[in-house]
Amino acid sequence: MHFDDKIPIYYQIKAHIYHEIITGTLQPGEKLPSVRQLALDVTANVNTVQRALSEMIAAGIIDSKRGKGNFVTMDETKITDLKTQLITEQVARAYQQLHALNLSDEEILNSLKHYMTQRGNAE
Amino acid sequence: MTAGLTLQGVQYRHGMKTILHDVDLTITPGKIIGLLGENGAGKTTLMRLITGSAKGKGTIAINGATIVGDRKQHVSFTEQLRGFARETRVDQVVNFYHDVYGDFDLQRYQDMATFLQIDGSLKLTSLSKGMKEKLIIALTLSRRTDLYLLDEPFSGIDSMSRKRIINSILQWKPDDAIMVISDHYVSEVAAILDEIVIVKDQTIFTHEATDTIREKYDVGIEAYYESLYEKGNDYD
Repeated sequence: MHFDDKIPIYYQIKAHIYHEIITGTLQPGEKLPSVRQLALDVTANVNTVQRALSEMIAAGIIDSKRGKGNFVTMDETKITDLKTQLITEQVARAYQQLHALNLSDEEILNSLKHYMTQRGNAE
Repeated sequence: MTAGLTLQGVQYRHGMKTILHDVDLTITPGKIIGLLGENGAGKTTLMRLITGSAKGKGTIAINGATIVGDRKQHVSFTEQLRGFARETRVDQVVNFYHDVYGDFDLQRYQDMATFLQIDGSLKLTSLSKGMKEKLIIALTLSRRTDLYLLDEPFSGIDSMSRKRIINSILQWKPDDAIMVISDHYVSEVAAILDEIVIVKDQTIFTHEATDTIREKYDVGIEAYYESLYEKGNDYD
């Protein structure tokens, strides 16, 4: 995994695993690899991976079962909430940046529609 | 007994010249530390003080062991194999380590040698720089101990070897062991470091967690490190 050196590594690992959960690469109830294996998979250190996992466990997205390992939550509403949260973050970022260019809400919507049409034509 | 590595009031002089002064440092078990600083800043001296092969003033403890003889059992240092004749074969060096160090795990060495593609039948004189560095890393990590000191393990080696060495570190470092990796480049290892220690102005200039630096200053580790050598930085 390629890390951006400016962003905390534990945060990037968390974002990576959340992405896999939302896209279904990691299914509800699926067991995660061991902490050391995850560390090797993403080339980060065990302590950093552990910190990412701890935050995901605290957020209720990962269930830690003593002696058995870490599992993606079976609670699909939590996954839906997570997805909504990530979409909101992305949209908010784009919205704020466009708003900073003095675009009105209507202009923002139009530019987004225009982009999607153009993008469709290009493909 | 305090777990981890502790240095208190460490000083080292060479003749009239002060190399290190007022070195106070505490590293907790399990951490991977980047020891950074310019060439000649005193990184290797600091490692040699920790192993006891250099003698200075002050107190150094590894998991409570302060006497040099006791300390040596708790630390594995990347020796540069200078004591071996050029014609010595790799497997003879391995046997020597196995004989000398009671904590040398031969199975672990074999696993690492396979992973790093080290050919035991080669003579030391015929090893490339990268291969020699891989051998040194495998020998150092094959001891089961509390503290590993890797002195510039990535100097002058290709990126594939570097990736394999980093992978070996992540795979074979015991959970509670401390690993100190010195380098004057940080970008190669920044992602695997818990904390950085910067040696500058003959002492420990900075000791901070890498993710704290990223969160607090919104910069990468390399940019942060380089900024310390430019005038007018404002990271206080």
